[in-house]
Amino acid sequence: MAAVLGLIIGVVVGLFVRPDIPIFLQPYLPIMVVAALDALLGAARSYFERNFSDKVFVISFLSNVVTATLLVLLGNQLGVGSQLSTAVIVVLGIRIFSNVSAIRRFIFQG
Amino acid sequence: MGNAHTPPQPPRDEPDVGGQPAQEPDLIKKIVSQHNKDKVNDNTQTGAFPVVGKRKAKAKGKVKRLSTSSRSLKARLGTGVLIAVLCALLAYGYVIQINNKDLTYETMSETELTRLISESNTQVQRLEQRKAELTRQLNSLEEAADKEAQAAQIAKENEEASGILSGRLPAHGKGIVVRITQGTKAPIDASTMFNLIEELRNGGAEVIAINNVRVVTSTYVSESDNGLICDGKLLEAPYVVKAIGDPSNLQNAVNLAGGVGSRLTVKYGATVTTEVSDDVNITQTQLVERYKFAKIVE
Repeated sequence: MAAVLGLIIGVVVGLFVRPDIPIFLQPYLPIMVVAALDALLGAARSYFERNFSDKVFVISFLSNVVTATLLVLLGNQLGVGSQLSTAVIVVLGIRIFSNVSAIRRFIFQG
Repeated sequence: MGNAHTPPQPPRDEPDVGGQPAQEPDLIKKIVSQHNKDKVNDNTQTGAFPVVGKRKAKAKGKVKRLSTSSRSLKARLGTGVLIAVLCALLAYGYVIQINNKDLTYETMSETELTRLISESNTQVQRLEQRKAELTRQLNSLEEAADKEAQAAQIAKENEEASGILSGRLPAHGKGIVVRITQGTKAPIDASTMFNLIEELRNGGAEVIAINNVRVVTSTYVSESDNGLICDGKLLEAPYVVKAIGDPSNLQNAVNLAGGVGSRLTVKYGATVTTEVSDDVNITQTQLVERYKFAKIVE
């Protein structure tokens, strides 16, 4: 409930408030969004598995975002930013896929 | 290899165990215990990953029960709000990123930038080539248009010239007007009138008209009972002959001593007056005749 409400609020606020993203944050925002999406889908999966913990969700959300951002930052400093961001995106994409398939199994029972 | 070698040994031991059961019980016990020990020692399963799933599951269940039962409503509300805030952040970032359309070059790496530069360079070259091509085409088209315009101009000039020549168009310009009254001694005959026309032509007349008849190449003058007929029209005295050309030349041609002017006055008793004008207007025109036999040589 809270998650859906939050998503709706976020979309509405994002549609009406358009701040200028600071330049140093621009390469990280898409990665952060993907990492947060992964955390959200993981939470949905655990909700279907009936072992959802809000504490775990909050921590995994934040740690996902921070880890992804730090990885890309590290890559930028080492000169392999684009490759490392690709790697992060790939890994998160794989996780999103596995989460979605787990959720699907719970919904369709198979 | 060792694993494959050990299995044959126990069958060899077993007959020994089975063969002497009553002789030495202590030995048998020893052998049996040794055998059991060997079995344990020969166990190839490593203990690197002990199975602890069951205990963990138990612990998880405990935590779950704890979290659902013992936490206060206030705490649960707080985490709910936190989840909502996080999800809102996610959605917000998502929407912002979607609307963030301006591609800033600051975020690109050096290699990407150089690739972009070289790509745009090649594109610029290609576009310049295309531009040169199109410019060439445009130039050739403009030349063609110029040529066409020139041709049209020439055609128009030709048309005007030939129009004046064939009597299709009215003309005006410097020239003379000759007025000839009816002769008192005798009526003016056709040959004299034609002579006058010829003299004017010799004098360089470009356009000639008699009364209301435009004189062209096919113009004739003949006589009838009523008077002179020119191109099927009756000419009545006084005759007014207009000619466009060099006025002095034309005047000389008419007033030449022993020429057509003096002949008119002397032979026919007519009065000939020539009048030089800067603007002789010849509005009479002739219909263009269609050539029946003559064809253009191509």
